[in-house]
Amino acid sequence: MKPPLIELEKVNTWFPGSKTILGKPRSWIKAVSDVSLNIIAGECLGLVGESGCGKSTLGRTVLRIAPLHSGEIRFLGDPIGTLSSKELKPYRSKMQMVFQDPKASLNPKMTIFDILKEALVLNTRVEKHAYLEQAVELLHLVDLRSEHIYRYPHEFSGGQQQRICIARALATDPRFIVFDEATSALDVSVQAQVINLMKNLQNTFNLTYLFISHDLSIMEHVCSRVAVMYAGQIVEIQDSRALFDTPRHPYTKSLKNAVPVADPEESNTLEVLKGEVPKLSDPPSGCHFHPRCNYAQDICKEKSPLKSETGDHSWVRCHFHETLWAQGTLIDN
Amino acid sequence: MNTGTANKDNLQGPHMGHDKDPVLQVRELTVAFNLPQGRAEILEGVSFDLYPNEILALVGETGSGKSVTAKSLLHLIPGRNCEIRGRVLFEREDLLSLPKKMLQAIRGDKISMVFQNPKSSINPIFTLGEQFHRLIRLYLPHRIAQVKLKMGCTRKQAVQIIAKEKLHEVGLTDTERMLKLYAAEVSGGMAQRYRIALALVSAPEILIADEATSALDVTVQAHILKLMKDLCTTKKTAILFITHDLGIAAQICNRVAVMYAGRIVETADTKTIFKNPLHPYTRGLLKAVPKLGKNESLAFIPGIVPDLVNPPKGCRFFCRCDHAMDRCRDQKPKSVRVENNHDVSCFLYHPDHTDKKEIPNETAPD
Repeated sequence: MKPPLIELEKVNTWFPGSKTILGKPRSWIKAVSDVSLNIIAGECLGLVGESGCGKSTLGRTVLRIAPLHSGEIRFLGDPIGTLSSKELKPYRSKMQMVFQDPKASLNPKMTIFDILKEALVLNTRVEKHAYLEQAVELLHLVDLRSEHIYRYPHEFSGGQQQRICIARALATDPRFIVFDEATSALDVSVQAQVINLMKNLQNTFNLTYLFISHDLSIMEHVCSRVAVMYAGQIVEIQDSRALFDTPRHPYTKSLKNAVPVADPEESNTLEVLKGEVPKLSDPPSGCHFHPRCNYAQDICKEKSPLKSETGDHSWVRCHFHETLWAQGTLIDN
Repeated sequence: MNTGTANKDNLQGPHMGHDKDPVLQVRELTVAFNLPQGRAEILEGVSFDLYPNEILALVGETGSGKSVTAKSLLHLIPGRNCEIRGRVLFEREDLLSLPKKMLQAIRGDKISMVFQNPKSSINPIFTLGEQFHRLIRLYLPHRIAQVKLKMGCTRKQAVQIIAKEKLHEVGLTDTERMLKLYAAEVSGGMAQRYRIALALVSAPEILIADEATSALDVTVQAHILKLMKDLCTTKKTAILFITHDLGIAAQICNRVAVMYAGRIVETADTKTIFKNPLHPYTRGLLKAVPKLGKNESLAFIPGIVPDLVNPPKGCRFFCRCDHAMDRCRDQKPKSVRVENNHDVSCFLYHPDHTDKKEIPNETAPD
């Protein structure tokens, strides 16, 4: 088995809520609570969940952009959770991020060359005189032409802009890239282009991805393993194929059934979850999903379920996953 | 009362319950903007019918003109630098040539609209309750009088009772608390349900939903889609559902119109369009949709949407089309009726095109 590239151990990311007069936080918004997770080298791990469940925060925590409240993050075995920003510098270039809105993440006053050069400076392997050459090569990698190099971001379409963002992420020669809803702003016909490009680059450079999205249907095309997040916690991780065929957690099943399928002859059951997404400042006791779960019992209100392994690198957090599994309740037939 | 061309006449087939007259007829709607770069025809001859009791999906990519269509129906596009031609027939009147005052009486009353971002279409400086009550006082004076008489309460209380009723209809609980909140204090899903409740106060005949669920999570979206479907069946509201998500079109809509670069390229029943798509663009679009449980590599349509200031002279899909022929370059394809309720604008299906049998249909889902 390949070693993990990134290990998260009991990671908590809390943001201060209301504050006392002295500026001490009176309450915390627990965006990520108690997440332990391994990201294996060379894989693409998907992270799905509803908006406000903490998936972006988790992605930013891994890169140490969001403040870590407690827990430990290891990058290739080195603990980076408590490093100062100076000490983090060598790690920064190894970990990159691509954001949702490409237009907002490219400086409108800079040409594509300037944008790429800014990132290339961090890449110690590239000599100063070779920046232009390298930048052109990066553009070719993302299927853009070399004459694009002196243009400005607004001259490109959304899909092209996102490819520039990917080129910029590649400029520092990273090992790990976080894609935070990187294809959500794109049209389906363009989205497919960007995803195919991402996959090719992953194979060529042996990259590891964390792909954050709210769109379940895209997950199987992109990711090898998918983690499902609900209210700050990861409730289930499985192989992407298995996750949709045989979900183990009731939430995964509900999420899957809420996606409208682009085929009028397939199930018309748009499942509606009762209730609202809980507030992260005051999450429910026990299992965070219990107020909306159809199978909840008393124990779910009191005790937070522990991880139980269901296979290689897959686990689920549910008190009743064994019974549900045995009865086949969560499997479509 | 079909006023369209000859091939529009068999719209009233036994299929789909189209025995009724359409509530809304759009004919040759053309919208052009005068931009600094030049004149751009954003819509070019858009025609469709909306029947009572149906949900019509208008699907297409960003910039295909879906929202412009929706907005120009109610003349909501600012007049400067903009030309609107064509006809929008509603209750035997052309909405585009109605005086402003008469149009204002239709907007929000007989034709309501729900926009993409619910929070930006709710006034942030009034509570949800204040806005809701104002609408009820405006549209439902009779109902207020009824409730007043029945419950023996004041006018204010009657308005509050009606407001709660209407919010319950869209599946909102805890309405008492919600009506005291401001737009910023509720979640996106709640705000959109509230917006829909607002749009329905006047019991409109037509509801235009412009990407109404695109900003929401799938779980909340599922709720809203169900709501729309119920609305269509119970209240007979005709819904024009504008979306880029083909999944939504497949699940809740009766008919689908596919737009590309300002033109409707194909219109058909939902089942037909997913089973037997004809236009090359529709086929490409359907192939690009990621599907749950099918892990095949995704297809895409090469190239990008054309610049509408200098659009291709003929078919606007010409540069991206695998089946493009010489005539596609210079001539604009007209809409052809292929079978019952299935129109397509492509030369491949024109009666004078001979080898139409040879077009492989790789997209039909198995």
